[in-house]
Amino acid sequence: MNAKEVIFETRDLHYAYLGKFPALCGVDMRIRQGEKIAIIGANGSGKSSLLKILDGLIFPDRGDIFAFGTRLHEDVFCDEDFSQAFRSRVGFVFQDPDVQLFCPTVREDIAFGPLQLGVAPDEIKRRIGELVRDFGIEELLDRSPYQLSVGEKRKVAIASTLAVAPRVLILDEPTAGLDPATMRHIVDIITKAHEEGKTVVTATHDMHIVQEIADTIYCFGHDKKIARYGPAQEILEDRQFLEAHNLVHTHRHRHPDSVHTHPHDHAEHHH
Amino acid sequence: MAGVKGSAFIERSMLSVLLFLKESIFAEEYALKKGFLQAIDPRIKLASFLLLLCAAIATTDVIFLAGMYGLCLCLAVSSGIELLAFLKRTCLFVPLFSVCIVFPALFGTFSPGEPVLAFGVFVITRQGLMSVTLLLGRIIVSVSLAALLNMTTRHTVLLRVLRIVKIPQIFVLTLGMCYRYIFLFVEIIENTYLAIKSRIGSPIHYRRGQRIVGVSIANLCQRSFELNQQVYSAMLSRGYRGEPRQLDEYRVRPVDWVWACCAACVCALAVYVTILRR
Repeated sequence: MNAKEVIFETRDLHYAYLGKFPALCGVDMRIRQGEKIAIIGANGSGKSSLLKILDGLIFPDRGDIFAFGTRLHEDVFCDEDFSQAFRSRVGFVFQDPDVQLFCPTVREDIAFGPLQLGVAPDEIKRRIGELVRDFGIEELLDRSPYQLSVGEKRKVAIASTLAVAPRVLILDEPTAGLDPATMRHIVDIITKAHEEGKTVVTATHDMHIVQEIADTIYCFGHDKKIARYGPAQEILEDRQFLEAHNLVHTHRHRHPDSVHTHPHDHAEHHH
Repeated sequence: MAGVKGSAFIERSMLSVLLFLKESIFAEEYALKKGFLQAIDPRIKLASFLLLLCAAIATTDVIFLAGMYGLCLCLAVSSGIELLAFLKRTCLFVPLFSVCIVFPALFGTFSPGEPVLAFGVFVITRQGLMSVTLLLGRIIVSVSLAALLNMTTRHTVLLRVLRIVKIPQIFVLTLGMCYRYIFLFVEIIENTYLAIKSRIGSPIHYRRGQRIVGVSIANLCQRSFELNQQVYSAMLSRGYRGEPRQLDEYRVRPVDWVWACCAACVCALAVYVTILRR
């Protein structure tokens, strides 16, 4: 594992939203090629800000972020070659699919990324065909994103990111607010992307999917630093730690024949 | 009581505007049907309709205009558009308003010439009658052509083919995004209105209603600004560098060329008839 190329490295990252609301307060992490990473943490713990920094959309106030060995800062994206190479290698799925799906039709949205990056039209059509088949969204191609359900929007958003054929896939809460079947489909898509050799970084607080989408977990603390990182299994078994960081909760609930108390990974996960 | 009525006025106005937006912008009932105009390549369709519009403007022959209107009706029927709906859309309001505007031109005071009918001092002249008929004919035919193009082409497609008239890519992309996000904002406005209604629960004084609408508009502006920044980030993330590129996947078939030739012939005929009349 150690021999694998380091994709992202952050050193003492600090970032404040609007320059005054701290979002990250000293984050250190290292992500290698082919890893499956989950970034977990309660709401407002800084996950989204970190992902945007990894995607070179915002830049830290203090500290360093390196991607593919190059330090990311605003000036480096003025270099068209670097910018194009970086955008071809890193795909980012936004938390709100309405933000990401800005074209009038699903087809145009999926084609947008590869078109901007100069991919040949025939290759774009091939990718669109393959993605819509894999995602089961053939009938949505000529529809406008406003006509889609949340689950469909989420699938199209992931398809539009994968259309770029990135080496790294970054997803910001891809399963938030989805029904169980769609959530399952999204998890399968993420797993398949990893099996195809992509590095996958997912921010989530759906704890019941973490084991499938991650080998390594970085957990944000309330102080907006990484409180702990390590193998997914090890962290997921530490219920006390997860409860202290608002990631699982314990409450009593009723079954037809009994009432019992045990921890829950998320609101819908009652058994 | 007057205040409450005022409040209902604000509510009705807002809901009507939202309904109008939804119906007029997002209804694509006819564009999704299988019909003659729907099957034509949108670029050829736009170009041919521009030619037909030129023909309608160029001609000075009322009979020729009547023929063009007949063509419009045939196109409507062959494209699966209900004739009544088409007539309502093209012959009711716009020509009615036009009649009001051109009405004075009927009379000898504005159009001197051969008297046809007299109402005391007001004399309708043949020249006045002809110029009003010609103008109304042009308006009806132009409105019908615009309605046909609009009803048989999806708005998103129509935006994309604007590029053939050399409208810059960035403008087309921005228009497309406006179209895309209008619906999102319509939903936000509707939900905001319902949220306010659910918390207030009773009719409110119109002054308070106005204040609430004002606050909602400010809130919407702020949201649109935030959305604007996020959408720009999403574009950057997918490789956008200031010069958008769009997929061009239309294919022109022989039937499209045949249609384009027909439109060109109509345009040429209009010019020929006009020259002949001189």
